[in-house]
Amino acid sequence: MNSSPFSRRDFLRTSALATAVVAAPLILPSGLRGQNAPSKKITVGMIGCGNIADGHYGPLLGSPESLRVLAVCDVDRDRVKAAAARVNTAYENTDCKTFGDFRELNRRPDIDAVFICTPDHWHALIAIDAMRNGKDVYIEKPLTLTIAEGRAVVEAARKYGRVAQHGTQHRSMKRFHDVAEFVRNNGLGKLDRIDCWIPPNNRFCDATWKPEAAPANLDWDLWLGPAPWRPYSSIGCHYNFRFISESAYGQVTNWGAHYLDIGQWALGMDDSGPVSVEGKGEFPSSGLFTNATNVNFTVRYANGIPMHCRTRYEGGGTARFVGERGWLDIARDKMSASDPNLLREMQAPNKPIQLELSKNHQDNFFECVRSRARPIADVELGHRTTTVCNLGQIAMVLGRKLQWDPAKEEFVGDEVANRLRTRAMRSPWSLA
Amino acid sequence: MNAESSAAPAAKSKKVVSANPADRYSNAGPSPDPWAQCALLEYGGDRSYAWTVRERVIHTPAAENGRTEDQLLKSLATPGRTEAGLAFICQMLAMVGSAKSVPALAPLLADPKTTESARYALERIAGPEAGAAFLAALGKLNGNAKAGLIGSIGVRGDVSAKAALAAIKDASAEPALVREAATRALERLATLKA
Repeated sequence: MNSSPFSRRDFLRTSALATAVVAAPLILPSGLRGQNAPSKKITVGMIGCGNIADGHYGPLLGSPESLRVLAVCDVDRDRVKAAAARVNTAYENTDCKTFGDFRELNRRPDIDAVFICTPDHWHALIAIDAMRNGKDVYIEKPLTLTIAEGRAVVEAARKYGRVAQHGTQHRSMKRFHDVAEFVRNNGLGKLDRIDCWIPPNNRFCDATWKPEAAPANLDWDLWLGPAPWRPYSSIGCHYNFRFISESAYGQVTNWGAHYLDIGQWALGMDDSGPVSVEGKGEFPSSGLFTNATNVNFTVRYANGIPMHCRTRYEGGGTARFVGERGWLDIARDKMSASDPNLLREMQAPNKPIQLELSKNHQDNFFECVRSRARPIADVELGHRTTTVCNLGQIAMVLGRKLQWDPAKEEFVGDEVANRLRTRAMRSPWSLA
Repeated sequence: MNAESSAAPAAKSKKVVSANPADRYSNAGPSPDPWAQCALLEYGGDRSYAWTVRERVIHTPAAENGRTEDQLLKSLATPGRTEAGLAFICQMLAMVGSAKSVPALAPLLADPKTTESARYALERIAGPEAGAAFLAALGKLNGNAKAGLIGSIGVRGDVSAKAALAAIKDASAEPALVREAATRALERLATLKA
């Protein structure tokens, strides 16, 4: 839990407090090596070179005056070669270093920050290793696979004094900020509920499978890493890993990490969470994919407000905030309301509660790498949002209502549910 | 036991074996026992029996977890048990296993061929019985498997293992990977009360 007086969440931005914020203590730079001087280029390593990483290259390579991608890493040699070629083309040289093992990249002293864009089951271990080696980290969503991993990442960030940004870029999109702030200021009147809709799982290919020989370009053992061993299958590797519960919890964490996150933000739950969860998922009983094809769960907060999360088979993710004055819908590409006046009121200045405004998620991360302040999506709140996703997953798996203690981060009176907060890792990997 | 097969009466007037009374005219034979079949699971194969077992494990009331655990331990002893079957059963025991499972899992933990699955279950089973199994296996595993075992000891927070881990940390004969695992586990244990 963040007890810092400079929590960037949810502070009251009165003019007096704004002054106090400027003077507030920041995260101490661990290196004190001058690496954070504004004039110095921040050097970056990319770990994971799949479709999520692809979205980062444009902005990263487009700021050569302040950023430099020095190295790329992936267990798939073809992917790492393609990523290096992209970097080299942008810089018009051949300097980009390539790695197949993240530990080698993390041990390079010339890299300041790493972007972690691997399958979910790797996020925690790579992030902790990077922070232990003095790197700041941008961790793609979901922060981690399990609740225990999330807490371990937060502890590592604090222990090593690193800047750690969760890749929930909605936090840096004005539309989402405005809605969260409006709801926090009771713009909808008394809030009744939040409805989140996420895209469906398992829709991209048939899940019938047979073991295959891993391609020569792929280090399958390292791809699996801490996940339980299984033979390679071409339909269970890149991208589709998210439909296999040993690696991810599907759209519950893939998109839930975005939309449930805005619910958490609007409710002021960035360092806490709900107190109960219940759900019913439809899980496939055959084939390789094991995550719910139909997601339906509800978390409920101590103030009684429920947040629902359901699969929507047509269209992308969205969140609806419903209050006594009407409703607001928010998605990446649109925003609508039951009454247009609500949208106008949303833009009114000087709200009593003003949430931090970040215009660009990457920029915010790099600003914090220099300033040592906590980023807009610090790992604590990333962990709390990922926990909400996990609660939904566990409730759907068990099919029963569960009580959750957000302070202790444990289920109340359900031993089986508590065991599902973590899982043993395949050797030699461990959270210890 | 499999409720369907134990309850299946033999048809008297026809030479068929019915799975249950409603199927008394069926000649399909008895339903296979999912508790046995799940042990024969193959990667990429039919996992419907494992699914049935999973549903029962998950939805059995907590007060009856002991009975579920008994059934899983019988599954564990199924002749011809496969690697995937073992992994599945241990995933179930990770949810409902208790000290009662330790005698069956301890030998698997100490065997390099089965240690990963056994550790998956045992890491989640609290208590000194499981802790003793981890300590006993320390002397029987090497390399990656030993590092994983040490990591689990750290995650379990077994402070009684401190001396054993300290010895490993300082043992020059151990590979760096194992010594580093011991160092990390000790760091974690140092944050816990004895």
